[in-house]
Amino acid sequence: MILAALVMNTQGKPRITKFYVPLGVEKQQEAIRTIYSALSQRPEDSCSFVETENIFGPDTKLVYKHFATLYFIFVIDSSESELGMLDLIQVFVETLDRCFKNVCELDIVYNFNKVHTILDEIVMGGQVVETNSAEVLKAVQDIWKLERVGDLNVPSVRGIGSYRSKS
Amino acid sequence: MALSGMRGLSVFISDVRNCQNKEQERVRVDKELANIRTRFKNQRGLTPYEKKKYVWKMLYIYMLGYDVDFGHMETVALISAPKYAEKQVGYIVTSCLLNENHDFLRLVINTVRNDIIGRNETFQCLALTMVGNVGGREFSESLAPDVQKLLISNSCRPLVRKKAALCLLRLYRKNPDVVNVEGWSQQMVQLLDERDLGVLTAVMSLLVALVASNPDGYTNCLSKCVYILERLTKSQDILQEYTYYGIPSPWLQVKTMRVLQYFPVIEDSTIRKGLFDVLHRILVGTDVVKNVNKNNASHAVLFEAIALVMHLDADKDLMSQCVALLGKFVAVREPNIRYLGLENMTRMLLVADVNESIKKHQAHIITSLKDPDISIRRRSLDLLYGMCDISNAKDIVEELLQYLTTADFAIREELALKAAILAEKFAPNLAWYVEVILQLIEKAGDFVSDDIWYRVVQFVTNNDDLQAFAAAKAREYLDKPAVHETMVKVAGYLLGEYSHLLARRPGCSPKEVFHIVHDKFPTVTTPTKAILLSAYVKILMHTQPLDQELQVQVEEVFKRCDNVVDAEVQQRAVEYMTLSRKGSSMVDIMAEMPKFPERQSALIKKAEDTEGESTEMSATKLRQQQNSMALVVADPGPANGGLPPPSEQLALPEPPPPSAETAAIPKAYANGTSNPHPSASTNGDLLGDLLAPLAIEAPPVTTPPPPPSQVDDPGDPLALALYDQQVNQVKPIGSIEDWFRALSLKDSGVLYEDPYIQIGIKSDWREAQAKVVLFLGNKHTASLVNVRVLILPAPHLKMQFSQVPDTIPPRAQVQVPVEVVCLSASRETAVLDFSYTTSTLPVSVKLRLPTLMNKFLQPAPISASDFVAHWRALVGPPTKLQDVVRGVRPMPVSDMGDLFNSLHIGVAPGLDPNVNNIVAATTFYSQAGATLCLVRVETDPSDRTQMRLTVASQDPNATYELKEFIKEQVIDIPVAPVPAPAPSPAAWGLTGPAAALVGLI
Repeated sequence: MILAALVMNTQGKPRITKFYVPLGVEKQQEAIRTIYSALSQRPEDSCSFVETENIFGPDTKLVYKHFATLYFIFVIDSSESELGMLDLIQVFVETLDRCFKNVCELDIVYNFNKVHTILDEIVMGGQVVETNSAEVLKAVQDIWKLERVGDLNVPSVRGIGSYRSKS
Repeated sequence: MALSGMRGLSVFISDVRNCQNKEQERVRVDKELANIRTRFKNQRGLTPYEKKKYVWKMLYIYMLGYDVDFGHMETVALISAPKYAEKQVGYIVTSCLLNENHDFLRLVINTVRNDIIGRNETFQCLALTMVGNVGGREFSESLAPDVQKLLISNSCRPLVRKKAALCLLRLYRKNPDVVNVEGWSQQMVQLLDERDLGVLTAVMSLLVALVASNPDGYTNCLSKCVYILERLTKSQDILQEYTYYGIPSPWLQVKTMRVLQYFPVIEDSTIRKGLFDVLHRILVGTDVVKNVNKNNASHAVLFEAIALVMHLDADKDLMSQCVALLGKFVAVREPNIRYLGLENMTRMLLVADVNESIKKHQAHIITSLKDPDISIRRRSLDLLYGMCDISNAKDIVEELLQYLTTADFAIREELALKAAILAEKFAPNLAWYVEVILQLIEKAGDFVSDDIWYRVVQFVTNNDDLQAFAAAKAREYLDKPAVHETMVKVAGYLLGEYSHLLARRPGCSPKEVFHIVHDKFPTVTTPTKAILLSAYVKILMHTQPLDQELQVQVEEVFKRCDNVVDAEVQQRAVEYMTLSRKGSSMVDIMAEMPKFPERQSALIKKAEDTEGESTEMSATKLRQQQNSMALVVADPGPANGGLPPPSEQLALPEPPPPSAETAAIPKAYANGTSNPHPSASTNGDLLGDLLAPLAIEAPPVTTPPPPPSQVDDPGDPLALALYDQQVNQVKPIGSIEDWFRALSLKDSGVLYEDPYIQIGIKSDWREAQAKVVLFLGNKHTASLVNVRVLILPAPHLKMQFSQVPDTIPPRAQVQVPVEVVCLSASRETAVLDFSYTTSTLPVSVKLRLPTLMNKFLQPAPISASDFVAHWRALVGPPTKLQDVVRGVRPMPVSDMGDLFNSLHIGVAPGLDPNVNNIVAATTFYSQAGATLCLVRVETDPSDRTQMRLTVASQDPNATYELKEFIKEQVIDIPVAPVPAPAPSPAAWGLTGPAAALVGLI
């Protein structure tokens, strides 16, 4: 399972934090600091995996990707495929890119609420919900449309989103 | 750039970003928090928009690392808001800020349920996501049926159904009972027919969890899983959107293959063949391509396929194909593939007999040991450790040693330990082993435990042809500029015993050896000094006739040490001084050490013990265990080394019988300074062995008592402790003894805690009966299985408890109520025999339960006249017992009074006019009824370590037990034999104003 999904910048500032296992604020920050100090010491051409027994217990790993000023980090246990997670980070980033047109750190800072919405469409309760970037985008855009609708008129909302029958 | 759409929020974020430092940021955040707090407090005029904005701000602040301890109510309340935007923020922020045990969550269960069963899909999604992220047991109980309905519904959109699947997974983890295997396995089969790959991926995640805990219940899903794989890899009739860089949903492929690894075996030959076809296609059909993302995805599938092949115990062809692929991977530059190649190769070692083919890649693996990336170095280290056998031990260990000089701190400890184990296990010859260990001490002395150098000494002692070599090597190492203390120890010992063999070599005359050793003397710790003193006397002894000059120098050292504070050093100095003057009779006493009996190495024994558990595991389990397994890889065969096979292997003598100890050095005890310590007796003791011949009649194997220096040496258990950690032995995180002691005075608290589980106790004592509730809390993210709780009641207690479930789900707590009835007085306690299995290892602990006698006591308020009357009525044994208690923990009388009160023995202050005495009364409850017990303690102000204790009650048994119980509570542990003279009556303060009560006794 995915224990946490984190986005932090190369200075160690957390931008998005989402923990799928209960962890106190103190522990979360400690984890973020430890993760940052581990990542910031890694040479550029290192592999994308860091073993993290000391932070999240035995059998856990960080899978991370470095984009410009940001680290995208998923903390996983042994039940997930490392490379699969790397792909999922790619999906996450590609979706952000589509949403924000060339996403940069500032987009994520100022739209952290939207990023949470996107993340919720990709990972839920530590499991992968959706791996198809287009599908995620569609769901997220539906949500944003709804946010702008003033009063929610229930019947008019049903059917928003171009659901195609796939069978 | 799209902004959050809330101006206030954007402004706040800007402000925080503009802060120059953490301090400014804190000030800004505090200001904002204060603002939000006031606004929430006075909700008049607070618009829904503002509420929404503030709650988003709270989340932002929370993500920055500040605790947001208010506003939870407002957040949760937003869930019930009618507008989508408010509801959404309520759900999202709730799932970030609150954990499953938060009370406020209960308030919204109904709203959440209404959203789930309502007909609004967007609300359903929000609710399912929140429950999937935080849902606890209560959600589980009230929502599971509705979530199941959504999942199997035909009318719901895939968007809702995939979330329902994952939500159900969460609820299942909290409470496995929500899924009834019989009915549900058929549903799962149908769900696997799903055409929407998003839903199918989520369903597959659910299936992994279901099969993992009950593989037999879902065998009917097996063929569907294989079919899905076939469909994905062969026909590829899937939507374009679900191909990722041209690969049909790699996640679904990986998940499906993961599920298949949880099924024990696949017997149906058609299914098996179909599956092997698929796997074969993946293995041969994956090529390395330019595009990184495509490469990642295809290799994710490929690595999973390799894992599945290992699990399936496939035929040789497929296996060797896998090894060939992995061999290719460990040689590539791409770090991710190399990392996983190394990792999977290590895993493969554990399940298949592929050692020979893996050896071909040794050179590449060693290259990775020098990679700049620590993750890769670790994997390479593990793999080298695993693949090491007699044929390549020399190369591998030498590589490890070489690497040790440059290795960073994070990995040195592990490296040193692994090198030591491999050297011992697979040494082609003993001289090489000695050489390796000495190098190891030189390069990483801090990480070489005493056990390891003891072992060197044993081998050298038992092999005559090794002795001169070892002594010469030791002499060489002492010449180096900075010498580790462990090196001084081993070199000191070896030179003491065997330097005479070198006497004719240049620079090795007794005098020269003495000087080079003695150079280190001022800088070493006391235990090492003791070893060196023995070395000196031996060096001296070997110069027959005695070298006068050397004798003067050595005696000078002894003289200087004969008033050292440390008893061991002092004793040796004094004894050796006397011996050195005995002339030829010294030769008998200081003769060379006899050969050690042959025993197995402690280090290797440990490794082998853990090995047994590893043989029957599936690939999946092995995956989880991999890190620890690397240390205990199965023995590759009987021909494993130049070292004698286990039965002939040598080891440290087991702790000697106590009688031999005292016979050997009675003096140590007479001094009262050398206290045998239980922990030391498990480690062999060579210092003692050196001394053994002092006791002429002692058998050759005798080990005298461990000197105190050994007892206190924190470095001593280092290697083993480290080792423990790596085989995942579960250690309590605290002192069981302390917890027990605290609970003996309190009614609730922690009884036991380790990284996986916490056992708490809550108890309610009512006279002779008690309700004790044990709380077993799984702290871990995986289920604890094979949970067994047995209470072994003491004979005087009747205890009843209900059955405990076999499995504790992750983060769940199980309560075990225990009914206790006290039948009679006793100091004994019941014992909780508790065991469970983590993902890796079985853990078993025996814990005393705090069902102590004092729990059945209640202070009895009593007047002076009543006390005197009762006291008089009880005239002597067996109803009134008196003892002089020695070895009492010194404490003021008032503290002792407090102690009594905390034990429910009610002190009656002022009843005894002597301030040094305490009288107390308590009622003991058992099934037979209540017994009034009276206690009187007379302390001696001049010697707080003793006291006179008198206990009286109608019930002789209660009298005796209470007296003993009080003694246990006041006596210092361990009981030190205090050679106190018999107390004269005067010492008891009888002359003082002991007044009326004294006359009664």
